Amino acid sequence: MRPFNHLNPATLEEAAEALRQPGSVAMAGGGDLLGALKDDIAREYPKLVVNLKSIPGLDRTEVRDGALCIGALCLLGDLSRNELVLQYAPMLAEAAGKCASPALRENSSIGGNLCQLPRCWYFRKLNNRFDCARKGGERCFALSGDNRYHSVFGPAVFENCDGKKRACIAVNQAELAPPLMALGAEIVTTLRTLPVGEFFGVRVMSTTVLEPGELLTEIRIPLPEAGTKMRYKRFSFRKSIDFPVVNLAIVKTPENEYRVALGGVAPMPIRAEAAEELLRGKELTPELAEAAGRAAVRDAKPTEANAYKLQLVKTLLKRELISMMD
Amino acid sequence: MKTAGISLADACAQAQARIEKMPTRQKTVTCPLCGEPFLSFGDLTAHYLAVHPEAVAPVEVRMTVNGRDCCLIIEPQMTLKEVLQFHLGLTGAKQMCDRGQCGSCTVIMDGKPTLSCNVLAADCGGKTVETVEGIAVQPKWRPLIDAYCKWDAMQCGYCTPGFLVAAKCLLDRNPHPTEEDIKEALSGNICICGTYPRHSQAILEAVSYMVKGGEQNA
Repeated sequence: MRPFNHLNPATLEEAAEALRQPGSVAMAGGGDLLGALKDDIAREYPKLVVNLKSIPGLDRTEVRDGALCIGALCLLGDLSRNELVLQYAPMLAEAAGKCASPALRENSSIGGNLCQLPRCWYFRKLNNRFDCARKGGERCFALSGDNRYHSVFGPAVFENCDGKKRACIAVNQAELAPPLMALGAEIVTTLRTLPVGEFFGVRVMSTTVLEPGELLTEIRIPLPEAGTKMRYKRFSFRKSIDFPVVNLAIVKTPENEYRVALGGVAPMPIRAEAAEELLRGKELTPELAEAAGRAAVRDAKPTEANAYKLQLVKTLLKRELISMMD
Repeated sequence: MKTAGISLADACAQAQARIEKMPTRQKTVTCPLCGEPFLSFGDLTAHYLAVHPEAVAPVEVRMTVNGRDCCLIIEPQMTLKEVLQFHLGLTGAKQMCDRGQCGSCTVIMDGKPTLSCNVLAADCGGKTVETVEGIAVQPKWRPLIDAYCKWDAMQCGYCTPGFLVAAKCLLDRNPHPTEEDIKEALSGNICICGTYPRHSQAILEAVSYMVKGGEQNA
């Protein structure tokens, strides 16, 4: 890595102040950022890395005001063993326990997981070999290149720093986003509170709507009512140290309201609204589960290389719904 | 027992010597840019502010490595792996992928398996770090190392320290693991020679030996 300065702030204000300066970047566990710095993928190399781990109190997990509150620096390994999480959101504990590898989970935070940069191989190529739209460049190389792991719901169109419209077909790899979306979680930052679905965004060198100096501090999950069922499923080519090609989370309330969230298929984690609509108020049957799987990918626009993901979504959703039948 | 040309006792003695030779404190503080000597780290920081305001100043980190308190003056961009190797002379943790994808650089930090290539040393202030050398010098873990040699759970041996550290970390948490537990705990370590089944065999044998040994001692 090339040299950069390092700051251990003691408070959120100190960190936010440092991060408002251009050329500074926040680091939680570092699993995502250090790889990006070693490969020097960005146009600009940071002058200052702000270590958020030195801020006390951001790794708590507690039940407060009818919600399970998880600090942004709560580590994935701790999350997967946490009694409160296992009690109220077992799906989240399962998802956290399946991320990456055992050693990585012990040093990766939930906040870092949600804010990580895309894993598109053009974006991640050494020394900014592909100066793509997501870095402020002209075009998305994956649109016409090898996009077998990219979005099946088409590219995201966003405005770059000059206000020009650009497209990016990379998927959001935040592995914990689908369970949080299905659980109806809220994201608390230093400035505002957002539903988790509005937290993600496609921007230059960012996958969230966080402004410079704004920090993710807490995730609030409303306590699910008794009798709520939840399922999490990920599909990856290797069991360990691999990002899921597709992951999904389902929450079914006792009133037969369903929330289905999909990850790894679109530039942002999405809710499968068509499937939710179809399932609403109905008791599950194998036929309904299959129809829901088809509905979830009805609007998909896969590329030549990644239509296999649709089959994965259909099958995984069907199987998980069937496993939820009484 | 012989392994790779040197006896296991020699290897353990070598690890002991490495730990004893660790330069835990820098005797002289010199500016890496102009070579000027200083009495303390504080003077060096002041010198950077005055003379090299644009350069990245070194930082001071205190941590416990293999039971020894270290006070190190390092560059902020150095990973824990680089500091262990280049500042402390501990070559046990191996750098392979340098991206947190292979597990060869695994060390134990505050009781948890940690990929030392994926952690900035500047973040490790106040932490307790144990490397494979620290495991080699403890007689308690000798059965584990013996079992690794007996079952030949290595070919080129480059990934072995990472596996051994991950295995020790597992046994710390769970002294009676099942084969499934072992596979799960070692799932972050990659061996290109494909010695995976031998690792479970070796660890299971070490566990049974250590349980027996514990009973005899009691």
